[in-house]
Amino acid sequence: MERSRTRIASAADDERRRIQRDLHDGAQQRLVTVGISLRTAEARIRAEGLTAEADRLDTAVADLAATIEELRNLTHKLPPAQLDAGIGAAFRELAGRAPLPITIDVPAERLERHIEATAYFVGCEGLTNVIKHARASAATLSAVRRNGSLIVTVADDGVGGAAPRPGSGLAGLADRVQAVGGELVVRSDATGTLLTAELPCG
Amino acid sequence: MRVTLVEDQVLLREGLAGLFRDAGHDVIGSYGCAEGLADLVAEQKPDIVVLDIRLPPTHTDEGTRAAAQIKAAHPEVGVLLLSQHVETARTVDLVARGGFGYLLKDRVLDVADFLAAVDRVARGGSALDPYVVGQLMHRTDGRHGLQDLTEREHDVLRMMAQGYTNAGCGSPKPPAPTSSTWAWSAGTGP
Repeated sequence: MERSRTRIASAADDERRRIQRDLHDGAQQRLVTVGISLRTAEARIRAEGLTAEADRLDTAVADLAATIEELRNLTHKLPPAQLDAGIGAAFRELAGRAPLPITIDVPAERLERHIEATAYFVGCEGLTNVIKHARASAATLSAVRRNGSLIVTVADDGVGGAAPRPGSGLAGLADRVQAVGGELVVRSDATGTLLTAELPCG
Repeated sequence: MRVTLVEDQVLLREGLAGLFRDAGHDVIGSYGCAEGLADLVAEQKPDIVVLDIRLPPTHTDEGTRAAAQIKAAHPEVGVLLLSQHVETARTVDLVARGGFGYLLKDRVLDVADFLAAVDRVARGGSALDPYVVGQLMHRTDGRHGLQDLTEREHDVLRMMAQGYTNAGCGSPKPPAPTSSTWAWSAGTGP
């Protein structure tokens, strides 16, 4: 039971990352290539004095560019390519994007992929909540190995009020953590919020 | 100007080469991987090297590493990195150098802007994608007094970082998208 749950979660993350890679290296680049061809055609048609036709191609390329942008936004909802370099690199990338100082503490070694992916989602969701709701001045993001588990924590000094309400991001995160046999605990009061996920890893 | 192109996808590489040629530039070399690139640059002395970040054999950061090598050995050669998505982790040291640019690949579709960016980088200026700038500005938020700037000052700084001149910053062109919307789209929502 435990093993099959792990296998399913791992397979789903592998599949997600494969889709992300295929989109980046396949479909998106193909669309850029099509766009360049259209631009080249547009320039030649415009040089012939066919302004209306050239304008129509210009609109087509603008639509294409918007589509590429949409695809990029979609793939950002998947585990990032940065996870290919491990959870440490992925957490540093997350911390680097945050608008407040984030202290990070991450393991140097690689872990099972489904554990890394789950840890990443904990970090992502936790930091998103810190930024959106906590009004914190600083936060800590850590992943530490202890007694056969990876303990992932997101802590802030904000206003509290975080809870895994049904349908919320935190409830979804709790499901994800449980899917790999782990446990998510949320402690939140007026001194701040501490999100702790304990993920089993050999 | 003399352009060296490094992009592993053949059709995209040919498309880019066509764009440069139509604009009157010389594509003096076009390659599918970055192996031996530093030597080729030493030999051919291009004005600018335009290269993909993800290249064979591992498709991770071959382009970034080649870019760093080129800038170290030939600082006068412009380097423009192209990528399908933004990763600032390994490029942050390069950004501070002159003659360096980093754009998302789809910026190519805005041909005039793209060619202007290539020209700036070849002449020692910079061209950073709005998304790259957004990430870097957030990275330093709170540590360099950026929070004291007004919204307009932020916009101007962002445009300067992208390589626009005084005249460009004063133009009515809309400011770059803010990075906050994008940066946190990776989250799964509250």
